[in-house]
Amino acid sequence: MDQAAILDHQFVIAAYTVTWALQLGYLAWLAVKWGAEKRAAARRTNNSR
Amino acid sequence: MKKLAIGLYAAVTIALMIWGFYQAMYVAPTDAMQGEIFRIIFYHVPSASVAFLFFAVSLLGSIGFLSYRRSHPQWAQVADAWALAGAEVGVVFCTVVLTTGPLWGRRAWGIWWTWDARLTTTLVLWLIYVSYLLLRRFAAGPQVQTLAAVLGIFGALDVPIVYMSNRWWRTQHPAPVFGGAQGSGMDKSMLGPFMWNMLAWFCWGVFILILRYNVERKHQLNAEAEAQEALEANA
Repeated sequence: MDQAAILDHQFVIAAYTVTWALQLGYLAWLAVKWGAEKRAAARRTNNSR
Repeated sequence: MKKLAIGLYAAVTIALMIWGFYQAMYVAPTDAMQGEIFRIIFYHVPSASVAFLFFAVSLLGSIGFLSYRRSHPQWAQVADAWALAGAEVGVVFCTVVLTTGPLWGRRAWGIWWTWDARLTTTLVLWLIYVSYLLLRRFAAGPQVQTLAAVLGIFGALDVPIVYMSNRWWRTQHPAPVFGGAQGSGMDKSMLGPFMWNMLAWFCWGVFILILRYNVERKHQLNAEAEAQEALEANA
């Protein structure tokens, strides 16, 4: 592989990595938010008893 | 049953993502003109398509909210949850587009960014929906949902402009591969991997869109119950 091809490959890997970092980061944030909403609902149910 | 269906859908989506990655990296041949760097298209274009689709979901949700906010408040809340989910997931995909694009541009053009019509209108689209999310996050009061719905409708007007920009104006961004001028299109050996990635990203997008919608619905129901309890406590 010549230098340009190696650099192209590195840029492709960077693009794929950034894509997955953004998507999985967002998924993790959604999971945290979902957990917080669930806890809030449980707290409310406990308080109303 | 519901959990099984969600688990099955998630498993199929993950399998499609792995298959799509394999197709993009190892099955699609290296482009004769661009070399290896063209493989960014397998993530860049599907992300743009899914972003457009979800901004359309946000548009429909916003129209639904404005239509039903007085006659059917419960339907309006559902529509609003779809509008927010569409806008937020759309922004995530649009962010992918705006990061993978410059990575491709740096190798193909020698520059990270240029103010051509396609790139600029995409950035404006992203900024409009980021401002939509900021409005929803930081503004308070009974009019926030209505204001956000109006902004969501105006934001969606930019989608056809982004799509048509490299047809209407001369741009540095490549001409349309599909539905473009004579001679446009993709070689069959690349079309298969491209379509697999389109399907994979669509399934992934729908998965997180539904997840985001459910989070928002739960938030709305919690807020509603809290308000009800506060009213009862004061009565």
